[in-house]
Amino acid sequence: MIYFTELENLPTHDAKGEYLGHLVDLAINPSQNSFQVAYFYVMTPKKALMCIPREQISTISVRAAQTSVPAADIRCAVPDEGLICIKKDVLDQQIIDVNDQKVVRVIDVDFDIQPNHKHTELRIVAVNVGAAAAARRLFQGLFAKHRIRTITSVLPTKTIPWEFVNLIEPDPARRVKLRISYNRLAELHPADLADILEELSRDEQRSVIESLDDETAADAVSEIPTRMQVALLNSLSAGRAADIVEEMDPDEAADVLQELPPETTAEVLANMDAEDAEEVRELLGFEENTAGGFMTTEYIVLQETATVEAAVEALKNFSGTLETVHAVYLVKQDLVLTKLVPLALLLISEKDAPLNSLVSDEAISVPFHADRKTVINMFHKYNLLTLPVVDDNDRLLGVVTADDVLELVIREK
Amino acid sequence: MFTIPATWTRFKRWKMNALIFLSVLGPGIITANVDNDAGGIYTYSVAGARYGYSLLWTLIPITVALIVVQEMVARMGVVTGKGLADLIREEYGFRTTFVLMAVLLLTNWGNTVSEFAGLASGMSVFHVSRFISVPLGAVLVWLLVVRGTYRVVEKVFLMACFFYVSYLISGFIAHPTWKQAALGTIKPAIAFDTNYLYMIIGLVGTTIAPWMQFYLQAAVVEKGIKMKHYVQSRWDVIIGCIIVDVVAFFIIIACAATIYMSGGREINSAADAALALKPLAGNAAAALFAFGLVNASLFAASILPLATAYTVCEGLGFESGINKRPHEAPAFYSLYTGLIILGGLAVLVLRESMQVPIILFSQVANGILLPFVLIFMLRLCNREDLMGPYRNTRTFNIIAWTTCAVIMILTLLLLIRSFLPEYL
Repeated sequence: MIYFTELENLPTHDAKGEYLGHLVDLAINPSQNSFQVAYFYVMTPKKALMCIPREQISTISVRAAQTSVPAADIRCAVPDEGLICIKKDVLDQQIIDVNDQKVVRVIDVDFDIQPNHKHTELRIVAVNVGAAAAARRLFQGLFAKHRIRTITSVLPTKTIPWEFVNLIEPDPARRVKLRISYNRLAELHPADLADILEELSRDEQRSVIESLDDETAADAVSEIPTRMQVALLNSLSAGRAADIVEEMDPDEAADVLQELPPETTAEVLANMDAEDAEEVRELLGFEENTAGGFMTTEYIVLQETATVEAAVEALKNFSGTLETVHAVYLVKQDLVLTKLVPLALLLISEKDAPLNSLVSDEAISVPFHADRKTVINMFHKYNLLTLPVVDDNDRLLGVVTADDVLELVIREK
Repeated sequence: MFTIPATWTRFKRWKMNALIFLSVLGPGIITANVDNDAGGIYTYSVAGARYGYSLLWTLIPITVALIVVQEMVARMGVVTGKGLADLIREEYGFRTTFVLMAVLLLTNWGNTVSEFAGLASGMSVFHVSRFISVPLGAVLVWLLVVRGTYRVVEKVFLMACFFYVSYLISGFIAHPTWKQAALGTIKPAIAFDTNYLYMIIGLVGTTIAPWMQFYLQAAVVEKGIKMKHYVQSRWDVIIGCIIVDVVAFFIIIACAATIYMSGGREINSAADAALALKPLAGNAAAALFAFGLVNASLFAASILPLATAYTVCEGLGFESGINKRPHEAPAFYSLYTGLIILGGLAVLVLRESMQVPIILFSQVANGILLPFVLIFMLRLCNREDLMGPYRNTRTFNIIAWTTCAVIMILTLLLLIRSFLPEYL
């Protein structure tokens, strides 16, 4: 194991033992091998940058590096872009640890020295973020290398294997060249992905969101604080923002759009699918911090004369998120709410039973202008999973769900 | 058919602009006001008490310098979306950042001590013992930040800014000679008396501090201000800087109209100034002056440790933020809590003669740190890959480098004065 702090400034000689200069950076060519150091950059005494390909390095140790050819034969054809340079792109930069789902700042990089018949290769093993690495950086060049090893051996180390390291590159063109993808992020739970997003700067957030599919992006965006949602959506193109907002729950979408500058909101709505836009627009009319502001318009509503079979059919055709459906709502003429049928009842009832007969109690509901406290208290008092919201004529407008209420309670604390 | 009257559209546009302005308002004004902390108030009081209206003119160049420096960090925050400590770490590596953060931590601990000392002496004017005021104040600021949400905290901070009005009122009550004050403001009076020059250096030093640069940039980033709204954000910075010096102006004239006019006497703390005002300008002016001091000290005692914890964690890569729970961001909470506890304890346990060296040391460390921070800022602000089209223009660079050079020379003189007085 050898650390970048030990490799940096390493004196480098050619095959004849002539001094070439000191090592300044190492480059990886991800299009060939994302673990192998492909090029060694050496600064000559005349301040010229020399590039040595991996095949021409014969030995490397904490003391010095040597090439297998004389200085005159060092040949290096570097692709100008598409290289990950350890010092420039990795050291001191933020990276995503996809295994621990965290954003960390790299302190040191660990390599393995691998002799390979005629030459020696360096293989990147892990990035180092522990106290030992910090001490190495601090003392680098001030003490002898073996002394630093002794000092740091007592300190805790923390490494992230290179395969779990996701570099962050805001420039999309360079991202493609460096073969950086955020595919593994898409597999994370949206809440974990959101935690990662919160740690990133605005441009980095944008770069991650841009590379995710709409649905994953929407799930993650739904979980970050509103202030950050606003900044993020604002930095995306209106078309992309609309795609993401479309995939969000209408109540979430309305909350974000309410905070955006009016002209941006209009632009995003214009880019959305007409039906989704209409739903969100309806919600935008309700005041923040009232039942109307908390509710979603994704729910299943049926005439009170309908049967169990019709309800199951409606569930099959439901376009929203099924996980959030806990009940179906019954209405008489003019959408006036009458009863609420829990899903479990549908399972144990006869297919042709009228829904009306399954429940005896009238549905508990709340007027759209009820304040936050009232809504929370109702959930608490009646042990609810969902609470229908009605207008002054008892017409069903939407539904508040328990997960939104939980968030309200936590935010209040 | 009817058309919307032009005035109406203009009004709507004006209203829109005002709304955008209010939404980006905060970072600049808050940073600038924390700047008028216990140490600042003391320096301004001494300036007024010793030299009357004759130092008022320095406030104009100081305001300009402050605007130049603060505008750069605000711009960097908006363009890069990253904090200053982040940028320094990415650009200058771990060791530089570590040393910078270590010095900043020490400096700001000293500053926190002087804030709690200010709180104690301000409350002593109201006959409240420091053994009550300091622990109470410490718990109050700690709870506000740890238990409050970002929005609540910012509102409380903006309210604290408003209380600086008390200095304006006490300035009026002191019945200054307005004509002389106006003359002193526009007419530079340079006396080649060393003490007078040091007073000027002190004024500059107390107004432009390293921590402010980190705090302002982080606050701008935190607020998520975009380039589109940068114009409003710049006004936030400019107005903040002007407010600082308006408050400074009134503190100076309050002391000039009373203490200086009645023959002048030495004041050893900001609370001394409040007590000195009592027989000369009445109880109300003295009470307002002391109230302003308490407000400023409390305000700075909560922002300084907070800004320090944020900056250090950002630079060294620890998790930070008041929206995190203590076990998620242990380094952040330990730093914040530690600074408040150690700051408060120093005032309670140490005698005044022992507090002075700490406060003096922190001013010296401030002075050492400032040139480095300014140079890093200027270099970062000129980087094409970071700032793109928003990097400093040639003209701005000339102004900025000159400003920074003057500040650096003045701080250097202050350092020599504190450490090696025999050479000056």
